Amino acid sequence: MIANEIVETDSPEEFAEEIQKSQNALPPKIDANPKNVEKGLAKLVLTLIELIRKLLERQAMKRVEAGSLSDEEVERVGETLMKLESKMEELKEIFGLKSEELNLNLGPLGDLM
Amino acid sequence: MKLYLYGIIDSSDQIKESIYGLEGAGVYNIPYYNIGAVVSEINQPIQGVTESNVLEHEAVVEKLMKDFTVLPVRFQTAIDGRDNLLSMVQSYYKDFKDNLERLYNKFEFGIKVIWPADKIKENIVKVLKTNKQKMSDASASKRFMKERFEKYKIDKEFQTKANKFIKVMDIFFSRFATGKKVGKLKTENLLIDAVYLVEKAKENNFREAFEHIKSTHPGFKYLFSGPWPPYNFVVLSPKSGLLQNAEQADIFDKVIRCQSLAGAESI
Amino acid sequence: MNSVMTKSKNVTLLEVLDRVLDKGVVISGDMVISVAGVDLIYLGLRALLSSVETMEKLRGSTFPA
Repeated sequence: MIANEIVETDSPEEFAEEIQKSQNALPPKIDANPKNVEKGLAKLVLTLIELIRKLLERQAMKRVEAGSLSDEEVERVGETLMKLESKMEELKEIFGLKSEELNLNLGPLGDLM
Repeated sequence: MKLYLYGIIDSSDQIKESIYGLEGAGVYNIPYYNIGAVVSEINQPIQGVTESNVLEHEAVVEKLMKDFTVLPVRFQTAIDGRDNLLSMVQSYYKDFKDNLERLYNKFEFGIKVIWPADKIKENIVKVLKTNKQKMSDASASKRFMKERFEKYKIDKEFQTKANKFIKVMDIFFSRFATGKKVGKLKTENLLIDAVYLVEKAKENNFREAFEHIKSTHPGFKYLFSGPWPPYNFVVLSPKSGLLQNAEQADIFDKVIRCQSLAGAESI
Repeated sequence: MNSVMTKSKNVTLLEVLDRVLDKGVVISGDMVISVAGVDLIYLGLRALLSSVETMEKLRGSTFPA
């Protein structure tokens, strides 16, 4: 088989493993089946909320890094982020969605998160 | 008569070499003007994806690659009847022709690099521990912030290191490439998953560049593949009838699906 | 479709699959018998939209709305 001559590597098993991982990590396409529309919508909405939550957390980390948060602000931001996260967990449970499902594949732009 | 399609070539000539494809059927060229669609006749319904039929398909495309420029067609594409096939080629003639000219004498090479993500992170943690900045952990909220911040710092440094290596390597490979698609950190360990489009004349330089990177970065693992037909470099305009490459098709479909979710009736 | 991909530890096969299943020239339309790796819902919408255009092109008439 010609194909066997054109892939050269000293670590075939490691690459096989990473390749499969990278393919499994792709978020599933949104299901337009009418029966699952509700779940599809929930996925879409929760994905966007999760995106916002992650952005908020990242912003907070940048401010901690810059040293621009007072002691009290760290306390308040921490509490808010904790609440947001636990609320997301609740919503995920209600809709039976896992963290890995809350992503969007934007084709050539890669994944949303 | 069902025609199984392997690729579009830049020739209207008959294929000289005897090539056999799926079901052991003879592979031949159906010409259209100055290009052609390479097919074989199939009788059984397509069985699905198996190791043997995939490799049979690929073997045909690679044999064609020796004598022609090939636009490889996605696996399991079959068309019902010569007339339909010719209509299809006719409607995409311009796109096919443009791609065949652009991809003449160019081949795809794949490079993948694995790096030891865990070790890299361990080293980062060691370095960060020496950092004087200490955060308070006097309350649950503060502990949360401290923990998140530590993770953030590790991730940030991890990304920075990755980008440094990727940049160096990509610069080396790109020197001899006319096109590229570079995937970064698809998994933590898969530092680079890239394809490069390389002219035949530059193939040796490209391989040397790869060997150079391998020798100057011995702690990593490497995979080199090719020459392939230009699977990742075929570009088909969505306006050109129905033909879309996989990526453009994906965007198109997401739009359709989002709209159907939102209850829209048409685009 | 995915059973071959998930079971195989053969890196060469994975490299081939990544290319032939997903890349290259992708054709849809009502004259295409089957397309690899695409579930029916996904294909149905595309084929439906594109088959109208195909019919118009091949028959040179406007499809009634």
